[in-house]
Amino acid sequence: MVATHLAVTRGLARRWRLALLCWVAVAGCAGPGPQRPAAPVQERGSDGVVETDAVGTSGAVGPSSRAPNSAVVALRREAEREAVVGRLDRSAALLERALRVDPRDPALWHALARVRLKQNRYGLAESLALKSIRYAGGDDALRAANWRLIARARAAGGDGDGARRARDQAEALQ
Amino acid sequence: MVRKSRRKKPSPRRSSRRMARRGAARGRARRPRRPWRRALGYGLIALLVIAVGYTVYLDIRLRGRFEGKRWELPAHVYARPLELFPGRDLSAEEFERELGWLRYRAVGNPRRPGTYARQGETFAIATRPFAFWDGREPSVNVRVRFARDRVAAIARPGGAPVTLVRLDPLRIGGIYPDHQEDRILVRLDRVPKALVGGLLAVEDREFFKHPGIDVRAIARALLANLRAGRAVQGGSTLTQQLAKNFFFSNKRSLWRKANETVMALLLEWHYEKDEILEAYLNEVYLGQAGERAIHGFGLASRFYFDAGLEDLRLDQLALLVGLVKGASYYDPRRHPDRARTRRDLVLDIMEQEGVVSSGRAEQARQRPLGVSPKPPPGVTRYPAFVDLVQRQLRRDYREADLTSEGLQIFTTLDPLVQDRAERALIRVSGQVEQPGVKLQGAVVVTQTDSGEVVAVVGGRRPRFAGFNRALDAVRPVGSLIKPAVYLAALSDPERYTLATLLDDAPVEVRLANGETWAPHNYDRSGHGRVPLYAALAHSYNRSTARLGLAVGVEQVRNVLRRLGVQRPVEAYPALVLGAASLAPIDVAQMYQTLADGGFRTPLRSICAVLTAEGKPLSRYPLTVDRAVDPAAAFLVGHALRHAVEEGTGRPLRALLPGGLTVAGKTGTTDELRDSWFAGYTGRYVATVWLGSDGNEPVGLTGATGALAVWGELVRRLHPHPLRPEPPEGITYAWIDPRTGLRTRGDCEGAVELPFVRGSAPQDRAPCRGGGLKWLRRILR
Repeated sequence: MVATHLAVTRGLARRWRLALLCWVAVAGCAGPGPQRPAAPVQERGSDGVVETDAVGTSGAVGPSSRAPNSAVVALRREAEREAVVGRLDRSAALLERALRVDPRDPALWHALARVRLKQNRYGLAESLALKSIRYAGGDDALRAANWRLIARARAAGGDGDGARRARDQAEALQ
Repeated sequence: MVRKSRRKKPSPRRSSRRMARRGAARGRARRPRRPWRRALGYGLIALLVIAVGYTVYLDIRLRGRFEGKRWELPAHVYARPLELFPGRDLSAEEFERELGWLRYRAVGNPRRPGTYARQGETFAIATRPFAFWDGREPSVNVRVRFARDRVAAIARPGGAPVTLVRLDPLRIGGIYPDHQEDRILVRLDRVPKALVGGLLAVEDREFFKHPGIDVRAIARALLANLRAGRAVQGGSTLTQQLAKNFFFSNKRSLWRKANETVMALLLEWHYEKDEILEAYLNEVYLGQAGERAIHGFGLASRFYFDAGLEDLRLDQLALLVGLVKGASYYDPRRHPDRARTRRDLVLDIMEQEGVVSSGRAEQARQRPLGVSPKPPPGVTRYPAFVDLVQRQLRRDYREADLTSEGLQIFTTLDPLVQDRAERALIRVSGQVEQPGVKLQGAVVVTQTDSGEVVAVVGGRRPRFAGFNRALDAVRPVGSLIKPAVYLAALSDPERYTLATLLDDAPVEVRLANGETWAPHNYDRSGHGRVPLYAALAHSYNRSTARLGLAVGVEQVRNVLRRLGVQRPVEAYPALVLGAASLAPIDVAQMYQTLADGGFRTPLRSICAVLTAEGKPLSRYPLTVDRAVDPAAAFLVGHALRHAVEEGTGRPLRALLPGGLTVAGKTGTTDELRDSWFAGYTGRYVATVWLGSDGNEPVGLTGATGALAVWGELVRRLHPHPLRPEPPEGITYAWIDPRTGLRTRGDCEGAVELPFVRGSAPQDRAPCRGGGLKWLRRILR
């Protein structure tokens, strides 16, 4: 009985081992696939059709997991100080300098958008906010803040409908 | 008794009558003469009025030109400053190279600003202070440690960490923004006395005494010319020559001469002798360097002797003075004997007039010409880039602002990237050049996120100012245009997706002029029905032509404009295959927008301009505009990445470090006249053109020519892999490329493609080959 049990167990084990081996092999043969970055897991306002397993290789879901660069932090802080006392051009210059250090930091793009909004450059502020959204990944809070900024810019520029749409976008994220 | 002669006194009545008769006679004689004289009188007055008016006109022109030219300080042009922060990609070698360009001295213990010491991968450096457009950077003493081609750490001598250090920027040139010529201006008090003495002795002995024209000199010249039977001497003063140089072309006529004379008198009336002399020293024509004219002794000194004017010897100064009479005729490089004779004559005159002692003159006559064998490059090391700066200054600033002296222009040039771009072009063009072909090329490199132009190479000899191919070689772009066609199509996701099958069968179009246009593929064969992404990646002409015509040529042109191409293109059907001519900088702008996910940032070479006192003139802010639907741009980007993985850009994979993802497009024109490659990494967009100035076939395709230059450039830059972020509304699906239908990831030949949400095909293709059948076989 023990022998049979053992034989069965060994047979089972072999099968499981093989299965495991094959599963690993299949996974290996499938290869890394095309370089595909994170795509949002849930489609906002989806039309009901879930397209695919859209979790990307970096799996960046949730708040942006960027390690803040110390140089960027220092420049941002100084830019904020300048903006507070109304030296907006200087603030923008510092933010542009920070962007040269890290061109994809969404917080920097957002900060620059805010400065431009204060300078009544509505079209530019909107574009900068869109760029921030683009790099914000899953950071919903930042994306919402950008949409709110876009709403203000559009309203100030006389585009009431556009402002409403932007506000809706912001609300959907919160 | 004295007898008086008695003159008969005319009786009053008789005399009056006679007088009346005489008067009448005179009147008769006068009457015919009066109108003639009156006419003459009026004529003279009119002439005087015209003459005065014309003189006033000349006066205004003269003063406008003269005042405008009396700048002394050129504008300083700076490259981008090198910023150091932990994590910055930069090798120790690159750092040391930049320090060399900045003339930092290697010392034992760097304490004074402008010094450094290197120990392996660690530098101790004392930076120079500098006033930037956004604040003043103080001098700092820091230690910088490098590791694996990055800045590992920065710290003060005590050990406290430092997050950011900005070096003083490299000065790359001095320009005069309100006109485009090179100058090295000299001030009269800094010009060697011997030069001035010699110039006056030879050209205008009475300069300080005459009022603008020297009548005696004219008379002398007239006599000498009469005696010789032809023109051997000129009687022009320096003032007249200055007038000639300033205003008129070389055409010699009596009218011109008269104008010059008047101008000379006006100049003397308005300005001091010293001012006129100084202007003359900086204006006189002294040579030709290809298309560039050499004006002024400061520039001529560099041009002929590669030295500053204050460093020249007597014989060299005499040579320059001799050139005034005829810079081409006495060109020391082309006519050394003539030049030598002329120089010695000048020395003779200088000796005669007592400008120099006989001893010195004799010594000088003994010397050889001493001219540097090749003319040095222009006043800047980066003429093609500075050319772009000049144009953008004129485009974006008020002319009045640009005439201020001593402006400080902060540009976006990255000397390290520029260096790589130059080397790549020079090296590879030398390798691929075919015998009997004069190959030329151009490169433009920009930063994706900011639109800043970091490198411009105008030709295979980058040090020499000349035809700037990067900005001005307007050439047919061939397949480089295709992304615009596909972008137009993909902007309509209900009609076109990356999976849409296109027909690569022969296509014929009847043109407006009655001719037929029948494009063919490069390999002269058809490929049946191909998915859209593959048609772009492999650059199939027939499917693209069909697609372009279906989308509409006008739409394609529209897309080009939205991508930022401002040069006008004709809306011919052949536009969809690249029958449009653009300069490399235009292509760079187009691919910039593609690389930046549809955000269009106008390319710029200038960050800021300050006055000499440090006041900002008017800043160039970062502008950006979401010009193109980001989803469509993302889809095109996917195909362009595929172009490098599997398509016409495949040869890049062998050139680039393993795993570096890039995207790009090859371009080849008819008969292999133009070879293009435009592509981007995670940080830079680079555009390369190879071709011949005479538009002759060069025997290179985009892949065999420009792509190789691109690869050589990019592989030497720090790697920035492309990590594209899909915008909102993009989803992925597995597609069978043969049918364009949905399938599963494990099916044979399946590819995963991005789609605009809701546009992926719903119908499924039968799964070929794949599945878990073989696995099940093993387990059984």
